Amino acid sequence: MNKNLSYKISVCVFTLPTLILFTVVVCNPILQTIYKSFFDWDGISAASFINIQNYVKLFHDSDFFTASNNGLIFAAFLVIYQTGLATIFAILFANKDLKGRKFFKSAYFIPVVLSVTVVSMLWLTVYNTDNGIINKVLKLMGSPYRQSWLSNMKTGIYAVAFVNAWQYMGIQMILIFAAIKSIPEHYYEAASIDGASSFQKHIHVTMPMLAETYKFCLVLAITGGLKAFENMYIMTQGGPGTATYTLTYLMYSAAFRSNQYGYACSAATILVVQCLVFTILVNRFVAREKIKY
Amino acid sequence: MVQRYSKLMCIVLTLLLVLSLAACGNSANTATTDASSVPAVSSSSGTTASSGSASQPVTIKIYTQYSSDDEKQPYDYAAAAMKKLMPNVSLDLEVEAQDDNQKIKTYAAAGNLPDIFAVTSDLVTLFKKSNNILQLDSYVKQYGIADKLTETSQSLLFDQDGHVYAVPNVGQWAANLFINKDLFTQNNIKVPTNYNELLAAVKAFKAKNIIPLAIFAKEKWPAVQMFDMLVTRTQPLGVVGLDTGKTQISDYVYKNAATKFIELVKAGLISKDAFNTSADQALQQLYTGKAAMFIGGSWAMSDIGDPKNLGEKADILYSVPFADAADADATKWNMSGGGFNQGFAVSAVSKNKDIAGQFAVQFGYAFAEGRVVKRADPNPIMKNPPPPEAGYNTMQKKYIADSASFTSMTAFPWGITNAKLGTALQDDCQKLLTGDYTVDQFVQDISNSLK
Repeated sequence: MNKNLSYKISVCVFTLPTLILFTVVVCNPILQTIYKSFFDWDGISAASFINIQNYVKLFHDSDFFTASNNGLIFAAFLVIYQTGLATIFAILFANKDLKGRKFFKSAYFIPVVLSVTVVSMLWLTVYNTDNGIINKVLKLMGSPYRQSWLSNMKTGIYAVAFVNAWQYMGIQMILIFAAIKSIPEHYYEAASIDGASSFQKHIHVTMPMLAETYKFCLVLAITGGLKAFENMYIMTQGGPGTATYTLTYLMYSAAFRSNQYGYACSAATILVVQCLVFTILVNRFVAREKIKY
Repeated sequence: MVQRYSKLMCIVLTLLLVLSLAACGNSANTATTDASSVPAVSSSSGTTASSGSASQPVTIKIYTQYSSDDEKQPYDYAAAAMKKLMPNVSLDLEVEAQDDNQKIKTYAAAGNLPDIFAVTSDLVTLFKKSNNILQLDSYVKQYGIADKLTETSQSLLFDQDGHVYAVPNVGQWAANLFINKDLFTQNNIKVPTNYNELLAAVKAFKAKNIIPLAIFAKEKWPAVQMFDMLVTRTQPLGVVGLDTGKTQISDYVYKNAATKFIELVKAGLISKDAFNTSADQALQQLYTGKAAMFIGGSWAMSDIGDPKNLGEKADILYSVPFADAADADATKWNMSGGGFNQGFAVSAVSKNKDIAGQFAVQFGYAFAEGRVVKRADPNPIMKNPPPPEAGYNTMQKKYIADSASFTSMTAFPWGITNAKLGTALQDDCQKLLTGDYTVDQFVQDISNSLK
């Protein structure tokens, strides 16, 4: 009995500092944001309670739908590009027979450690309509398909999303690679005895074993896409106009450009809800059964 | 052996990290102004030394722009002038971040505003409401600032509530269409005097693979200014009418301006890469003959008219080519752009409120003087401006001669007091530049943002 109590006290003592820190740094700002979303507030002066007017305005704001749509596009792009490519690369690099795998593994991870500003500036040059490498290559190939990649209101978001996907693909690659390396070798040996080809081994052994990792990667990619901001801020300033706004950028614009902090808080609250919903969905539908080695 | 090296490497790397962090301290973007390195004040400043209240050594923190020559030269001039007037006051400069005023607003929210800071109209409105900005009426009176200003500049001194919150440091700048005359002559294209001629010139330059208009759409305000230039051809209030509530975005003049805007863009007015073009890049396009025209404020005259750049090849068309032929003469002097209540303000919670107030009003005036002396500002705020060191270039002389005829001014986007309107105009006018945006969408989006 005493031992049990002592164990519980120990758990409390050791977890309490982290819990307090988490509450102060994460929970409190979220609760404050939700609370302030019911106020007409410029961020500095006294706030006045306006019930749910900020939310009513938000749901009538065309920029909100543009921003939400862009967030989903961004998230989908990250999931397809990052998780998809990361899986292919991780499987390739897990093959010990592949020459130069260490070099390529490092090469694909390098963009992750670069600053977002550096990467964004690099891609601004690449995307340049007149002198960018993409249009130059297209011109050399004789193709008339030359684009103003970031200036198009419909496709600008894809160009920006690609930059983010390119930069952070390395993280997912390393996560999946580490997960592959932790799969016991005898599973593959058993599959080999059953006559499975290399492709079948990956489909029937590797992929199911990666379910828990995919869950984490999906949450990372989806929430990363929904709350994307830095690339837009540096590359397009949300433009042309509001064409590359995400909810985070809408929040920034409302708070700092229009002095509508209350409105920005309502956008932030919706963003939190969106991230929460997607996280729950991923947890609900991916890797429902705990994998046991 | 390996373990010893590992430990050594760990220590070296840790020290390196600590040193790097130390080097990332805030000393990089702050500087205490060394007055000895800048020229002495002009005798025409006419300001008087402060009284005994400022006799103790005081360091005043100032937050303002200090990046380009246009900002550095007048600042250094004013700092040198103030060293003579208030020698006990040292300035601790924090360079203003180009961040949509995030930093200054955060300072205000945290009750940590610098003693003196640069403000625009929307900041005056915001800080007034939150009691963060000091009324400078008594200091302006003490130093007779109002009496030294021209009649038009006196209106810039006072806010809508009749009080002074900042002493303006620039005059009534107009937004202008600058051209490279040589490019028009070489390509046998008529310099436009009305809208139809402008449209024809755009098409002609486009056909010759020359960018008709160099616009730095990486920033959002030039699109607003072009829209305002179109509006002012029939409605002198321009976008200020929307700010004051005297006009509506659904009025015919605004719809007509948006229609023409889209027509010009579809005719090939701007480069496809305009949204990634900075002000410096746009100016280079004008200087190097890659672009025929450029939209900018009158402050750009100093650089464009410099013989090192375009010199005599440059000319200024104001907003005239945006008018229909029938209206061109009548609306010639309806100017886009203008002055507004801005300048150096003082924090209401400053520990050195009184000294900062005395300093700010004199510093603002000296800064305006520095703009004339160092940057040949052709539109000074003072009645008796000192002569510019390098004299005026041809374009500036033309501007000075013409400025007496200006009949009305509007504002630049940062002079719009309603921040919601300012943001909506900047976002939605930039959409007009894409050519994929309709007039109806434009009107609807601006209307919705004001609800």
